[in-house]
Amino acid sequence: MSDMVLEVRGIHTYIGQFHILEGVTFSVPRGSITVLLGRNGAGKTTTLKSIMGMTPPREGRVIFDGQDLVGKPPFQIAKLGIGYVPEHRAIFRELTVAENLQIAERRKGDLAARQDFIFELFPDLKRLYRLAGGKLSGGQQQMLAIARALVPENRLLLIDEPSEGLAPVIIEALMHAIQRLSESATVLLVEQNFRMASRLADRYVIIDDGISVQSGMMADLVNDEATIQRYLGAA
Amino acid sequence: MQLSRGISWRAAQKNWLLIGALILLIVFPFIVGALTNTSPTARRGLAVYWQGVMIELLIYGILTMSYNLLFGFTGVISFGHALFFGLAGYLLGGFQRAPELAESGLLIGIVVALSVCAVLGLLIGTATLRLKGVYFAIFTLAVAEMAYIFLSRYEPTGSEDGFTLGALPEWFDPTRSRLTFYYIVTAIFVLTFILIRRLMESPTGAVLLAIRENENRARTVGFNTLTYKLFAIVLAGILAGVAGILFTLLNKKVGPEMLGTAYTVNPLLMTIIGGAGTLTGPVIGAIGLRFLELQLRNVQIAVGDTVLEIGRTLPIILGALFILVVLVFPYGIVGTFVRWRQNRKARDAERLAKQAEALRSVS
Repeated sequence: MSDMVLEVRGIHTYIGQFHILEGVTFSVPRGSITVLLGRNGAGKTTTLKSIMGMTPPREGRVIFDGQDLVGKPPFQIAKLGIGYVPEHRAIFRELTVAENLQIAERRKGDLAARQDFIFELFPDLKRLYRLAGGKLSGGQQQMLAIARALVPENRLLLIDEPSEGLAPVIIEALMHAIQRLSESATVLLVEQNFRMASRLADRYVIIDDGISVQSGMMADLVNDEATIQRYLGAA
Repeated sequence: MQLSRGISWRAAQKNWLLIGALILLIVFPFIVGALTNTSPTARRGLAVYWQGVMIELLIYGILTMSYNLLFGFTGVISFGHALFFGLAGYLLGGFQRAPELAESGLLIGIVVALSVCAVLGLLIGTATLRLKGVYFAIFTLAVAEMAYIFLSRYEPTGSEDGFTLGALPEWFDPTRSRLTFYYIVTAIFVLTFILIRRLMESPTGAVLLAIRENENRARTVGFNTLTYKLFAIVLAGILAGVAGILFTLLNKKVGPEMLGTAYTVNPLLMTIIGGAGTLTGPVIGAIGLRFLELQLRNVQIAVGDTVLEIGRTLPIILGALFILVVLVFPYGIVGTFVRWRQNRKARDAERLAKQAEALRSVS
């Protein structure tokens, strides 16, 4: 196996007639936390959706552990071992916490095997186990959405804007959890909150107007005021 | 121990309403018999009349439960559910009255009718479930209307009049052995309810609910949602077929009206009024509405010199009722109650958490 879990090579994605991604290329090393940075509307979320097959790229390749994902439907891509946590706390509001986790099982016993780890990361979920997802607070819903991606054995987690609209205390807890879970899976993150991103990620990719313009080690970026100003605005 | 778990006191407590309803269904013919002072096993009389009413209500219940599986639990709106209901009736009737098949025609008719419903569900689903929402609904409407128009002009099946069944075996004949038929329909009704309940408590049921809420999301969790939707439409088609077969046997006649929009729209309204996506809502909606309809059909109210025939204005009354329910109980009767209970549970959980927090800060 190569030391890259995911390689995105020159993908072009259209939504309707709009050309959203005009050449995005980057790779995600195994075991890393890589963050996609860029302004609103730069194409970060679309990049994740393109990897998942929800907005399939028209050009380019997406290689996940040696397999090309382009052309595969989302459910097959998920089954290969990619957990996707969409933006806006994408849980199933009508299902209970328990059901939200149960349906994520790919093999019987997945949940039983990882339950302790999940409850250790998110103790709230244990207490609210029988409650409908829609009744949880925003932070709890986000935790549930991430927990759902942890139930099956996923080698790669795509997490879209986990901190969006959450209180600082909860963001801290989430950051801690993402750090812990990155010990067992590779994480590709979209995050607007640069402070959070810079503390969490070891690698970054900047996407600007649908093109990946720069990537490297996070430690180098934090000192590069010019780049931060140019692509991310005030940090 | 499996057995003691199956009939444990706790399970009985949790289901006491349902068990009560089941007992009521079993003793219903005898209660009505005692109240009207007529024999429940006779060929005529009020007791037998009420058995007939109840049989019809239960058949509506089965049809509505099948519609709810599709619309309420999976979120797929079909405007052609009557297709399964009516076609099953025609197929059963066709085989049952074929002289060369004699007694076995009934059984062959049942098997063929249900198989055709399953295959039809699979075909319609495969061809159209990729269509979203309203387009799927319109396609199903078109198919059902085509079948309706075809059968109302097709002479071998009696065109607009339909045809009557041949003689049924005595023990199975709803006129000669109505009590037996009542218990057969009751058993099928109860089995349908249990089947849907078990399905919705299973992981497959959770996936159906997930699809209803957000199909894309369910796909990214790793489900081939098309397969699950196909399963739902096939099962709902078979159950609607069961209802169609029982309805045909009860009336001993089939006609194209069984494929008409009434048998799609009624289950739809009954599901919404009772509570789409709940287990008991559609049953309550179906039995309640149909009962109301039967009761009000012949009522006349005299206001001065003018006599108001409620039966004629029934659709207006039911329409008003529908609007009222949708406004006051947007989730249906049972659905609104379930939500109210869930909210209370969530508030309780929150309050307990706050109390625990307070206790911790004190200590």
